[in-house]
Amino acid sequence: MFKFIKQYAEKIDNAQVYPMISLFIFFLFFIVLLVVVKNMGKERIKELSNIPLDKEELSNSTL
Amino acid sequence: MQVEKFYYDNKTVRNFAYATMLWGAVGMLAGLWISLQLIFPSMNITQYGSFGRLRPLHTNAVIFAFVGNGIFMGVYYSLQRLCKARMFSDTLSKIHFWGWQLIIVAAAISLPIGLTNGAEYAELIWPIDVAITLIWVVFGWNMFGTIIKRREKHLYVAIWFYIATFVTVAVLHIVRSFELPYSWLQSYSWFSGVQDALVQWWYGHNAVAFFLTTPYLGMMYYFLPKAANRPVYSYRLSIIHFWALIFLYIWAGPHHLLYTALPNWAQSLGVVFSFMLIFPSWGGMINGLLTLRGAWDRVRDDVILKFMVVAVTAYGMATFEGPMLSLKSVSAISHYTDWIIAHVHVGALGWNGMLTFGILYWLIPRIFNTNLYSKKLANNHFWLGTLGILFYAIPMYWAGVQQSLMWKQFTDAGNLKYPFLETVTYMKPFYAMRSLGGTMFLVGVLIMFYNIYKTVKAGKLVANEPAEAAPLEKEYVKHAGEHWHRWIERKPVQLMVLSLVVILIGGAIEMIPTFLIKENVPTISSVKPYTPLELQGRDIYVREGCYTCHSQMIRPFRSETERYGEYSKAGEFVYDHPFQWGSKRTGPDLAREGAGNLKKSDAWHFRHFREPSSMSEGSIMPAYNFMLEQNLDTSNTAAKINAMRTLGVPYEKGYEKYANEDLMMQAKGISINLKIDSIRISPNKEVIALIAYIQRLGTDISKSANAQK
Repeated sequence: MFKFIKQYAEKIDNAQVYPMISLFIFFLFFIVLLVVVKNMGKERIKELSNIPLDKEELSNSTL
Repeated sequence: MQVEKFYYDNKTVRNFAYATMLWGAVGMLAGLWISLQLIFPSMNITQYGSFGRLRPLHTNAVIFAFVGNGIFMGVYYSLQRLCKARMFSDTLSKIHFWGWQLIIVAAAISLPIGLTNGAEYAELIWPIDVAITLIWVVFGWNMFGTIIKRREKHLYVAIWFYIATFVTVAVLHIVRSFELPYSWLQSYSWFSGVQDALVQWWYGHNAVAFFLTTPYLGMMYYFLPKAANRPVYSYRLSIIHFWALIFLYIWAGPHHLLYTALPNWAQSLGVVFSFMLIFPSWGGMINGLLTLRGAWDRVRDDVILKFMVVAVTAYGMATFEGPMLSLKSVSAISHYTDWIIAHVHVGALGWNGMLTFGILYWLIPRIFNTNLYSKKLANNHFWLGTLGILFYAIPMYWAGVQQSLMWKQFTDAGNLKYPFLETVTYMKPFYAMRSLGGTMFLVGVLIMFYNIYKTVKAGKLVANEPAEAAPLEKEYVKHAGEHWHRWIERKPVQLMVLSLVVILIGGAIEMIPTFLIKENVPTISSVKPYTPLELQGRDIYVREGCYTCHSQMIRPFRSETERYGEYSKAGEFVYDHPFQWGSKRTGPDLAREGAGNLKKSDAWHFRHFREPSSMSEGSIMPAYNFMLEQNLDTSNTAAKINAMRTLGVPYEKGYEKYANEDLMMQAKGISINLKIDSIRISPNKEVIALIAYIQRLGTDISKSANAQK
């Protein structure tokens, strides 16, 4: 895929760097995001996902 | 801790709900009307009711009036509950509501009278653009005010989607609205040609992403768990869904410009990111559907859940199809055809429409403290809506593929098999079936009107709904080893800044090369600025919304170069403010209408504008005979020339003083030409300017070809 992009991008000075940067930034961002999300506690997730459901005792207990 | 008493504002929610229904019906009616115009061209009644002016009215009404009010209804209801707080300011709520309705009314007046910027979904003229900016700020102010005074520590994922929507729509709207006014009502796009195209589809695609999708996803994450009375399937997945979606969406715009004169590397960038979008989108869809795990039996009985299931399924289908359509090989056959119309309507009718209806049926009885008047009627609405979508989409898919095959079909001798007109008349039965689907959908909406009316009559609005919650602790002590994401979840401003950074990275990397492209667009020395008459004619072309049916972009395929001539080059569009590449070929491409084999006489164009079917039998183009009567307004020629010069079009200094003399001379030439063909018309009529523009199209390149010879 990179070669595919590059073959066209070379026609413009330094343009090949843009798709590269974008893919790289996203990849890094996504990996960090996955790690963070994976490490979130079970209780917390339960608490957060119950916010819309008016379970007063649950959301108040964290205050 | 002391529990505080407060009241939710339901009145604003009700107002937005009513506006959603009203404008939804108006927008859909406009859609039905223009679909019928494609079958019966005589339904183009007067210039104010012609297809080219009503089509933007339909798209703007559905996107900004129907879905726009739907967003505000959903946000005003859910945000208060998720924050355990009343909206920040009743005054801001009022200004927001009435300001938005005023903008819609201004759009509904300005578009039919021909005031337009000529950019799809960004047609509204600059004073309205300014008003939109102000009202959007009011919305953001009210939203952030509410979030800041909230009584719930954590920001539920729906609120993130609302925040990202606010930030991104603001950025998109401002960048797309860079324009230079030349009068109190009208302006030229700041960008030209390729640049304008890239900005347009960066905007256009993200209008779909951040107006039709992210706010509705926020609403899905609130209202679906509410309606199903169970938490979302995976909150973790919703976090990934959010960040991946807003990160990827912003890059995807160039997939609207595949095989055009946009540099190839930018096209490839769009393809890669569009394809990756399937993952977060389907993550979101699966998250929505699996929320109903173990409760599918309820879907059978609960009409609200039925609406929501169809909505989420339509979201899944549209977001599967989107990445597929972004592949270059698929785009090669689908672009410019009715396939795209089918695709967007699966999204608009299925995802936005059905989710809105589900939420309305859920929400109205609650704020009126009563029960839904008739579940049976709601069920009828559901089936009419669902079948309506199918009756709409299937014929359009068929039509799109058929169109594409016919456009590309060669005979054994190597000639194009079908004249363009034959491919148009072949479409009529499909257009008729589509209108039937649209009618079913609209009838469903009218049934909903009745059902909601009876429900409202039976109940009484709880304008201020009492609630109580403990206030937030003033100081929050950070626990050791706490994740940064926990910190983000509590901080709306930081969340806004981070989402802004995320979308700006995408926007900037896409935009910075746009300016590079400007320097890299190979200049073509024979491409000259438009003459004053051609410029005026071009503005009429924009005013009449010709771009809604005609493209001006020949892709490098044999089937296109054979039909329309040499493929389009980036350098040909450097003076086009705004660009007019179009996105749909209901009529043929016009990029080289004035050159080569396509060139026709002035008299042919004159007669064609007066009555298209007299020159092309079976044509479905509206008649433009009013242009034979209306005088061309030349009082603004100087202002237009000056504005164009400011934007970089090389008109000589002081030319504006003589521009009208040149204009009249050229007009007289056309008038004399017409006289030879026994057509007597004064040179100051609008049709003369439009003929001048059409005859200019594509001639620059043929001039350079002649020079080379």
